[in-house]
Amino acid sequence: MERERIENLIIKFNNGKLSAEEQRALELLIESGQVDIESLSIGVLDKKITELSYPTPTEDLDDRFYQMLALQKREIKSSFSWKNFFSWNQLSPKLAFASIALVLGMGIGYIIKPNEKPGTEIQALSQQVNDLKEMMMLSLLEKESATERLRAVSLTSEMSEASAKVTNALLKTLNSDDNVNVRLAALEALLPYIKESSVREELIRSIAKQESPLVQVALAELMAQIQEKSSVKELEKIIQSERTPDEVKNRIKESIKILS
Amino acid sequence: MDALTDNALMLKVKDGDLDKLGLLFERYKKPLYGFFYGMTKDQELCEDLVQNVFFRILKYRYLFRGEGDFKTWMFHIARNVNHDHFRKTKWKHKESIDNWEERLESEEDRATQFRQDEEMQLLSMAMDRLPEDKREILLLSKFQEKKYKEIGDILGCSEGAVKVKVFRALQELKEVYQHLEKHL
Repeated sequence: MERERIENLIIKFNNGKLSAEEQRALELLIESGQVDIESLSIGVLDKKITELSYPTPTEDLDDRFYQMLALQKREIKSSFSWKNFFSWNQLSPKLAFASIALVLGMGIGYIIKPNEKPGTEIQALSQQVNDLKEMMMLSLLEKESATERLRAVSLTSEMSEASAKVTNALLKTLNSDDNVNVRLAALEALLPYIKESSVREELIRSIAKQESPLVQVALAELMAQIQEKSSVKELEKIIQSERTPDEVKNRIKESIKILS
Repeated sequence: MDALTDNALMLKVKDGDLDKLGLLFERYKKPLYGFFYGMTKDQELCEDLVQNVFFRILKYRYLFRGEGDFKTWMFHIARNVNHDHFRKTKWKHKESIDNWEERLESEEDRATQFRQDEEMQLLSMAMDRLPEDKREILLLSKFQEKKYKEIGDILGCSEGAVKVKVFRALQELKEVYQHLEKHL
């Protein structure tokens, strides 16, 4: 029924016999998409409009356009102004970039910085001082004066790290120095290096070389303290010696008791 | 198929790559020129107006968001350029019977120039005699390839309303055409 009404309207329109009311009805149908313009007689006219040809622009238009484009490009390039530079839109990306660069720089600096706190120069200096002290200690140990030799031994406590040369000198002092006090000081100075197996071995060997009861007792107590069981044989030799005073024997026996 | 769509090119222009506007100019200088020619019949003026459209595209490139169709946006600008021109020179474009004869003569010259057949000459002349708004909708329909929804975006109305406008314009065009047929 509706289809028929629409077809009637189209026929009437094509014959130019539409009333004002029918015209409005047809327009409503076109608006709602129920009737296409192409399906009406005027659709031919619409099609012809698409075929209408128009003149084309001259080359003058091209010239003018490209001149304008070049001008605009130049204006953009030369449009720097401090006002723009400090406008928030312009400044915010720059600030963000600068902040990121700063944080990155600090991060990289932290990662690649040398681990030594005092820096390489200070480290070299302290090494030089250490070397000097070492030299001084070794030369002082050669002195005749026991006081000087005691000073030499006490110098090792000021050294951050003693070399093998120093520990050997201390062991030599412990075994052969004439003065008991110097020997005892050397033994005390060797305590920080007791963890080194070579030092421990030398200390055990040193037991047999000692004649001073004070040094013997000190060594026996040290062996007990560090639980050096391999020293028992050497300590027993001291006990067996007739020259060893009874008091010392008793003290050493106590140490052996702890060790066994 | 274009390697770069209109929208992609225009977004590049927006980002500062102004050279890409040259590609859009090459694509659309002819349809734009045709649209203005249909509206003004003045070749020299048409070139000014096309130039003006591209100048405005450059000037207002930051307003292009890439959501809609570039061509629709461009014709929207073209329509404004045309209206601005007519507002400035209103006295020159009074639609009156008096200047019809004058326009007919110049139209005859142009008809020979473009060697269109008689029927097309008549249609072209009939188009010229339509009121501006009706001529405009038919030209937009021609150059926007009957995309009524896009034309609606340009004119700020619905697709259905555009169809009715085109229908009414065609009705009037037919009347003028028939009138010319009888009198020429």
